[in-house]
Amino acid sequence: MKPYHESPVVTHTVRVVAPFILTFGLFTLLHGTKSVGGGFQGGVIVASVAVLFAFAFGVSQTEATLPGVRIVAFAALGLLSFAAVAGAALVVGRPFLDTTAFGVSPVYPVEVIEVAIGVTVASVVTGLFFELARADDA
Amino acid sequence: MTPLVAALLAFVVAVAVVTALARDVLVATVAFAAYSLGLAVLWVVFDAPDVALTEAAVGAGVVTALFVAVLSRTTRPVGGRSFSLSVSPTVVIVVGALTAALVATVPSLPAVGDPDAPAFDGAAAYYLQETGAYGIDNAVTAVLVVFRGFDTFGEIAVVFTAVVAVLVVRGRGDA
Repeated sequence: MKPYHESPVVTHTVRVVAPFILTFGLFTLLHGTKSVGGGFQGGVIVASVAVLFAFAFGVSQTEATLPGVRIVAFAALGLLSFAAVAGAALVVGRPFLDTTAFGVSPVYPVEVIEVAIGVTVASVVTGLFFELARADDA
Repeated sequence: MTPLVAALLAFVVAVAVVTALARDVLVATVAFAAYSLGLAVLWVVFDAPDVALTEAAVGAGVVTALFVAVLSRTTRPVGGRSFSLSVSPTVVIVVGALTAALVATVPSLPAVGDPDAPAFDGAAAYYLQETGAYGIDNAVTAVLVVFRGFDTFGEIAVVFTAVVAVLVVRGRGDA
């Protein structure tokens, strides 16, 4: 991206708005079993905060606080958590991905899966944006 | 079809045409975002808020941000260089025939919301009936994670693969 000169209006607005967007993203993510939303939508909303910061403060500035390797690690963490929940049913002798296998309401494993989806989607969207937006010499 | 739906459909078609015909890529990108937003509103009108939320967040939001990010790294060719568009008659015939064949199947599709449509035959009733038993109120989430969990697992793997592929292509595989 071209060198960006910070505008106090933009940076201040982003600072104020970011916690609200993050909260809404987490609400969308966790409330997917009760109302509209879920891991995909919540993850994208959470990632939009990173994109917003990149637009306001510059990509390299924002990325310095979120190094690429950790983004991939989080993406893998979400995928592996999903696999762990799905595979845990096998351990107790139930079919793969059986959310009724754990002696608790299926809502809990479903919520864990939603969070796993959200972690992967949020980190992938953030990672894709940084990779595509970063200048080659950075 | 209500006037609202008709207006939204007309808007979506109009911005889709703008997206396809715009000479400036940035104009096309913005028109594409408008197209996504129009579709998102349309999904809300069709009582599909989950799809609307995804369309607005991914289609209008993330995709636009990614396109603008990539565009900001390109340069606009200076001078009046423009490339002329030539289309071979074979392409027109093949694409025209394919489009005509696809459009010919449209009348045999069930009407929107038709309760006798194959999609509502057994699966939908089963999903709606069983969703409550899982303690989940949102049938869409229940279908995504419980009934079609395997599909969703595959989707997440695809999403993960996307970022790995971009990192490898950008030469950051060792990072």
